[in-house]
Amino acid sequence: MKVDIFMTEDTNNIDENNLYLWGGDFVQGDPKNCVAVALLNTEYTPSESIALYGSLKTENIGIEKIVANIISNPFIRYLILCGDDIRGHRSGKSLIALHKNGIDENHRIINAPGAIPYIENIGEDSINRFQKQIEIIDLLYEKDHTIIDKVVNEYSNKNPGSFGKPFIAIRLQPQQTKSIDDKRALHSKIIISYMGKIKVR
Amino acid sequence: MFSFTKEQKTFKIGDITFGGQPGKYPTVLFGGLFFKGKPDINKGRDHLTEMYTISEKTAVPGVPDFFIKKEEYIEPIIKLISQTVPDNLPFSVDFTDPAVKIQTLRTLSDHGLLDRTIYNSIHVGLTPEEHEALTRFTPSTAILVAFNPKDTSPDGKIEVLENGAHLLDKGLLDIALETRIQNILVDSAALAPGQNSGAAITALPVIKEVYGLPTGCAIHNVVEKSTWLESFPDERRIIDIASNVNIPVFGGDFAIFGPIEHAHTLFPLIAWQDILVSEYTESYFGISPSDSHPRRMFQK
Repeated sequence: MKVDIFMTEDTNNIDENNLYLWGGDFVQGDPKNCVAVALLNTEYTPSESIALYGSLKTENIGIEKIVANIISNPFIRYLILCGDDIRGHRSGKSLIALHKNGIDENHRIINAPGAIPYIENIGEDSINRFQKQIEIIDLLYEKDHTIIDKVVNEYSNKNPGSFGKPFIAIRLQPQQTKSIDDKRALHSKIIISYMGKIKVR
Repeated sequence: MFSFTKEQKTFKIGDITFGGQPGKYPTVLFGGLFFKGKPDINKGRDHLTEMYTISEKTAVPGVPDFFIKKEEYIEPIIKLISQTVPDNLPFSVDFTDPAVKIQTLRTLSDHGLLDRTIYNSIHVGLTPEEHEALTRFTPSTAILVAFNPKDTSPDGKIEVLENGAHLLDKGLLDIALETRIQNILVDSAALAPGQNSGAAITALPVIKEVYGLPTGCAIHNVVEKSTWLESFPDERRIIDIASNVNIPVFGGDFAIFGPIEHAHTLFPLIAWQDILVSEYTESYFGISPSDSHPRRMFQK
């Protein structure tokens, strides 16, 4: 298991090449704005003047992407959750639980209500940084877009400044234990003959 | 197209056979109902009739996959099942809410339907309450979803089946065994684009060769979750449907294909694909298609 965290040197300038490296379903706005919005089951679209907004679907890989992307931009200091939480997955409440409680020794988000709330691909350093860098504003189940807009504007205007250096969470990779030398192999566990007969390697 | 060295387990629920060597039995297609909004029971009934009609015309078996979002939907949906799903065919029930899962199992038991129930699904989020309910009201069949949030590769999927990947204290296969679920289907857990989505397809032949169990997935989920495809609204539907062809090509046994409304396009497509697989696997591996295979029907 490789655990590796990088910090870049510059604290106040944005290096766009190192922003939001984990990808995902989001729209970038002003990178020096202090607000990001996570959307759950909602038609609401925030202003593109904020730093970032995008959808949150799953209580594991989805949350990991939000954490990793947000800590890559130290200017983001507020994460606003809005929309209806996702039935079964409970991704919104699970994200709030991660921010409040962290993870246990099995990497499960402590007291998360989601079905599979495991953080497996980023380290605890990244979670600690996320907890310190941002404040979560819980607007789950708020239907009134005017109220949401008002809160987004209110926090955008706070402008507390950069938290410090960007924090780049490197994806934890399971170690490759087998090498594949068969050109026809689909996977290290099986061998495929030229006619398509499969057997266990 | 493939054939497996490992003996392939098959089982029947009513008239539908699951599993086996590629080319032997047709791919089983699970069509989803009631995934969005409040269940429209009358519309659901019409969609079921349409799916069974196209299933009969193409010789590709269809299984309705009923999504039950809330407890208040359990009774009307189970009433629809009792009235509309023929006694010789299975159905699956799909849910995310733990309380709904438990209440649905109890209600299916009360209606004497557990022997035709495919429980969709058991995964690493299994709660002690759900485990207990599965032990008390045991469906004949369950789909085990090999989703491993830590390792999305085929190895990670096998880890979840084998030992629970430290997320459970035992593997999903052992859990199914101890709850005395008779029949197991393995879902290779298709994820969103950018999350190693192709691993769900590669895992099909890997899981079948390692365990010999009927294996499939909901590969259409990858298309459904693609935001990039929003630029192609007209093509999106056909890409969603066409993605299912990957499953028989890679030796898989079933496809959970999403909206049942896609049945009239997908069933002929899969019939055609099953014929193509069968022609090769009979020619090179001596696997004769079953009497109910689409190839028999189209040769009449």
